Amino acid sequence: MAAVEDEKRGEEALERLKAADPPLYLSPSTELSQVARAAARHLYSALLPFCPKAPVDRLIADDGFDAEQIWYQIDLLSRPLVSTLRREVRRLEREPPEVLLLAGGKAAAEAVKGGHGEEGEEEEEDDDGEEDEEEEDAVAAEEEEEDGREEEEDEEEEGEGKGQGVEDRFLKIKELEEYLEKNEEEEYWQPERRKRKQKRDEEEEEGDEEEEEEENEEDADEADLELGDFDEDGDEETDLYENARYEDFFGGKKKRGLNKKDGGRKREDSDEDDLSGGSEDQKMDDENIDTLNKNNLSTHEKELQQIRSKIEQMEKANLEPKSWTMQGEVTAAKRPMNSALEVDLDFEHNVRPAPVITEEVTATLEDLIRKRIMEGHFDDVQRAPVLPSKAPKEYKELDENKSKKGLAEIYEEEYAQKTGLAPQPLSVSDEQKKEASILFKKLCLKLDALSHFNFAPKPVIEDMSVQANVPALAMEEIAPLAVSDAAMLAPEEIFEGKGDIKEEVELTQADRKRRRANKKRKFKAEMTKRARQSVDPSHPSGKQDS
Amino acid sequence: MASSEAPAAAMEVEGSGPPAPPRPQFEALKPHEMSDGLVQFRKVPVPPHRYAPLKRNWMEIYTPVYEQMKIDIRMNLKARRVELKTRSDTPDVSNLQKCADFIHAFMLGFDVADAIALLRLDDLYVDSFEIKDVKTLRGEHLSRAIGRLSGKGGKTKFAIENSTRTRIVIADTKIHILGSFLNIKVARDSLSSLILGSPAGKVYSKLRAVTARLAEKY
Repeated sequence: MAAVEDEKRGEEALERLKAADPPLYLSPSTELSQVARAAARHLYSALLPFCPKAPVDRLIADDGFDAEQIWYQIDLLSRPLVSTLRREVRRLEREPPEVLLLAGGKAAAEAVKGGHGEEGEEEEEDDDGEEDEEEEDAVAAEEEEEDGREEEEDEEEEGEGKGQGVEDRFLKIKELEEYLEKNEEEEYWQPERRKRKQKRDEEEEEGDEEEEEEENEEDADEADLELGDFDEDGDEETDLYENARYEDFFGGKKKRGLNKKDGGRKREDSDEDDLSGGSEDQKMDDENIDTLNKNNLSTHEKELQQIRSKIEQMEKANLEPKSWTMQGEVTAAKRPMNSALEVDLDFEHNVRPAPVITEEVTATLEDLIRKRIMEGHFDDVQRAPVLPSKAPKEYKELDENKSKKGLAEIYEEEYAQKTGLAPQPLSVSDEQKKEASILFKKLCLKLDALSHFNFAPKPVIEDMSVQANVPALAMEEIAPLAVSDAAMLAPEEIFEGKGDIKEEVELTQADRKRRRANKKRKFKAEMTKRARQSVDPSHPSGKQDS
Repeated sequence: MASSEAPAAAMEVEGSGPPAPPRPQFEALKPHEMSDGLVQFRKVPVPPHRYAPLKRNWMEIYTPVYEQMKIDIRMNLKARRVELKTRSDTPDVSNLQKCADFIHAFMLGFDVADAIALLRLDDLYVDSFEIKDVKTLRGEHLSRAIGRLSGKGGKTKFAIENSTRTRIVIADTKIHILGSFLNIKVARDSLSSLILGSPAGKVYSKLRAVTARLAEKY
């Protein structure tokens, strides 16, 4: 009853506000303010049930409260409502509900649109009039709320009115209700909508057969879900997918036939090799195809798929002929041109690799060279000393003169030397050696005489030589120094001649004649000899026999 | 002659039977006896260019032949021959031949002193050959060859003679070599090389090598 009275009072207040002249609002009046507060309270309480988060149960709009405070409360209440209303309006724009009564429907649609437009205008007015007086604000807010409520009421009325008569292929009241319920659930965090979602997915399957990319479908699902409803509710989506089940995607076992058809088409179009397709059962094929198609795989299934693809690759490689590097002996004809250059061939090198000349190596070499030069230690090849094994060969000169000895004499001498009857003649080298030794002895004697203090006698050189005019006995004659040796010789020692020598005076006639005859004979012999020599110069001067 | 021991030895050998006569022992046959008392001759013709030298060296030739070889020697002026004859007391058969060779060598052109070696040594020979045997040369080539052989003033010839202990006589195109067999060979080889055209220096070097070898042998 109190509530009803309050309602009445509130409505009355609203009526009165309406009736009041506009210029009255310019000047402040307590009556109008009281009325306005009452109206505001009424409207607030009317809207309260629709708002999810209400700041206060009842509008506190006493006299002490400022316009700002009152407005703040109203704003807190109305803001979510406004957004909700906007969403609803957009949805209705998208899917305008069919109206049986065309006139009423049109009116409703117009009202909706008009309300929408008015709402916009009022919003603008609100924006402009915030700085104006408090009543205007409150009134504007009240008007806004009023209109919004009117719209809701209109919509509800429309919905109920049309449900009775209109059910087309486009509009299904049941579907509409379900949709609304579902959105509300999602708004208020209530997970009840699996069935709804499943149905919606089925519809979308048929609609999107040609899409192969996995993510596109997911994105499409997400996009559909997001549209209009889930702008602010991202967490709800992830929760959805975590709790997803097979049936959500694939719609239970009744839908297998449909899926198979789709899978068949997809298999033809796909690029994957289905080597395992023939061997498996149809169910398995379907499963595989389904997994491939849907690509919402678990990690295990993904691994299996990878392994399978690897196996297929390897089997394929085994069937093909091997590459030339894997074959045994390959001649140049069997492998492509210059292919051996690209491959890293491994074979034994019997040659020591050439030394890499680096800076360190050159530095060490140069140090060694310098050290050796300083030491003077060169590895020169030293000539092997020629050992004087045998005496130097006597080099016999070719005598180009006529030999003075006859052939017989030569052989005779040779024979004599061989037998030892005659001593060997001294060769030139022997004579030279003898001369050298004599000279050296003389030198040594002189040096010894100079160096030693004691007297050394002269060496005796045994020489066989005939000395003329020396007596057999060398008697020491004590004679005065003044007397010369020449005077010491006896007359017989001085005299050279033979026979009885006569002077010219002592000669007889016969002697003189004899002497003259001898002279002549000698002279003649000489002359003949000279003559013969001049005639035959080659012939040696010897006695000629007749 | 027969020794008293021989029959005893013979008797010792043969126990029975009459004693065998002693084996005769003969002395070597004299050349006179060898030819059954006949005298052997040798006649050596004298070429005209050797006539005067023969006359000059007659006594040097005659003395060793007659007194040491015991061979009669005479000069047949009309026939221009030197004739040799064995005597009864010629000691050896070969003396006559040696004397003939000696005279022949003299006739070829060798000196008496050189030819005398034939008398004294057994194994000396005289080898002769002609230039045309080695190489056919005509005209100036021949003259040049002869000149090459003897050399300037005969020095090449003397060099060969001295080194090989031979004596060489170059008589126009004929060449005679007197010496022992090996020496003759060496001299002939060097002379042949000279004829064929090798220079004297080359021959000298070869000679030096050869003579050194030869000297070592002896």
